[in-house]
Amino acid sequence: MIATAGPNVRHRRPHAWAIVAEQELRDLWLGGRGLLLGLAFSVLLSIIAYLTATNQALNFLEQRESVNLTLQVAIAVGSLLALLAAADAVSGERERSTLESVLLTPVSRLELTGGKMLAALSLWLAAFAITIPYVWFLGRGVQLVGHALLTGIVVGTLLALFLASLGMIVSVFSNSNRVSLTLSLFLLLAIFAPTQLPSSAQKGWAGEFLLRVNPLTAGEHYVGKILVSGHTWNEDVSWLISPVVAAAVFSVVAAIVGARYIRLGRGGGE
Amino acid sequence: MTPAIKTEGIGKQYGSVVALANLTFSVQAGEVLGVLGPNGAGKTTAIRVLTTILRPSSGTFSVAGVPHTRPSAIRRLVGVLPESAGYPPRQTGEEYLHYFARLFGHSRASARARAEKLLTQVGLSDRRHSLIAGYSRGMRQRLGIARALINDPQVVFLDEPTLGLEPAGQRQVLALVRRIATERGATVLLSTHLLAEVEEVCSRVLILNRGRLTAEGTVSEIARRAAAPRSARLRVHAEHVDRARQTLAGSAGIERVEPADGQLGSLIAMLHRQGPAAMNEGLKALADAEIPVLAFELEGARLSDAFLAMTEQS
Repeated sequence: MIATAGPNVRHRRPHAWAIVAEQELRDLWLGGRGLLLGLAFSVLLSIIAYLTATNQALNFLEQRESVNLTLQVAIAVGSLLALLAAADAVSGERERSTLESVLLTPVSRLELTGGKMLAALSLWLAAFAITIPYVWFLGRGVQLVGHALLTGIVVGTLLALFLASLGMIVSVFSNSNRVSLTLSLFLLLAIFAPTQLPSSAQKGWAGEFLLRVNPLTAGEHYVGKILVSGHTWNEDVSWLISPVVAAAVFSVVAAIVGARYIRLGRGGGE
Repeated sequence: MTPAIKTEGIGKQYGSVVALANLTFSVQAGEVLGVLGPNGAGKTTAIRVLTTILRPSSGTFSVAGVPHTRPSAIRRLVGVLPESAGYPPRQTGEEYLHYFARLFGHSRASARARAEKLLTQVGLSDRRHSLIAGYSRGMRQRLGIARALINDPQVVFLDEPTLGLEPAGQRQVLALVRRIATERGATVLLSTHLLAEVEEVCSRVLILNRGRLTAEGTVSEIARRAAAPRSARLRVHAEHVDRARQTLAGSAGIERVEPADGQLGSLIAMLHRQGPAAMNEGLKALADAEIPVLAFELEGARLSDAFLAMTEQS
């Protein structure tokens, strides 16, 4: 006899986004992809910590600068991981032909986007958790660990939210994972480009404007001001404007794009 | 009684390409409707429109009495096995169904019970803890059917459910389709290009070609309407072949008689235009001549003949 559902089916789902997020987290972490990325991340941080803390020839940095450098790398790479996970979120399902089954459920596209975004952000949170012992080790004796971790979680979360949203938007409009990941990484490199400008180009009003308007450079600059220059939280808080605005604007845009354009085919088509 | 599916002139266009044009039909509750058509006929597009995955470019429809303007409400009432559905290889069959049951509003405990019950019913209970990566294609299709039933749907859409399956797998899937209709009373819309499947399980048939509805009716109605029999194939004992040829050739309504290629004792009788009754004279003559007829079939009266005739015509 083929089963019927019986009376206990609730047609109002309590939190579909939470169910989606739970499943995405399972796939990401129990499926092994998250663990592999976490392992690669910890290897990278180990190398940086080793170079900055133990190698006499290379260790030209002050202790504060070592913490700053390690934290900045952790923020940049951790938010990159969130971007990669988000860039796979929709285009990956489309490519694996699993999207149609999900779209056939009564879960709204907005809830689907929210659940997938949360799972992508978990990579940043895991990266931050991995960073804690490195920061503790490098920051011993200079009363910096608490400040560094608090600054790191605030700035890193803003940047991870910004980049994950960017990845999600690209993923919604991409038919294949290859396109989505390539485009996301290209955009990330474009955002990182100002950090590679010569220091002379980063001075003056135009240079500062460029640094301030770019969420990545502004966020990392803020971390540096707190950790290296010893400034207070609110002394340079204006540097947080672009990370906050970028995180807010891009997450809202990602929500709108997800709600309206997650379809079987890319964006405009169906 | 409200039809389970009712469409009024639905169409779907991609730019200048017409995937579906002016499709109007209705299906009563409990019916198994076969949707036939060659590749690119618009079968999958029609299913995607009716299951709210695609928005129609024109027309209106309702499913289980819910108008197309309420897609989320329709999705709660339908179960769908999409064509070439993908499955997450790293999930077990039970995890997969549990997830979808949760998305349809089941509590954790209820979702688990529902998953176990459906896995048993589709014959996968012994593999419920195995990764889907290790499932055969037939097992995946049965898992997909179980997923389509997770919300106890009123209308079930199955898009090419036997595609790529070996005969045993095809039989299992078709048996499931029959059970969905008979035991649950659900309406089933079965899209396929395998005519034998339709003849076996469907009460009514739609034939689509190039996005347009070419024919609609029961299997026998369509076969009758599309093509009058043009020949008859019969088999007699080998020693009676020559006598049977002479007897048939002398009957009214039979134009000529030829031996069927490669089959001992088989003959093909070409009929005059007056249809299947033309063969009656020949059969009577064979009976009078005491030639036993071991097998007999009118060619041109089957669904496959009708399908070919209709799709070739348009």
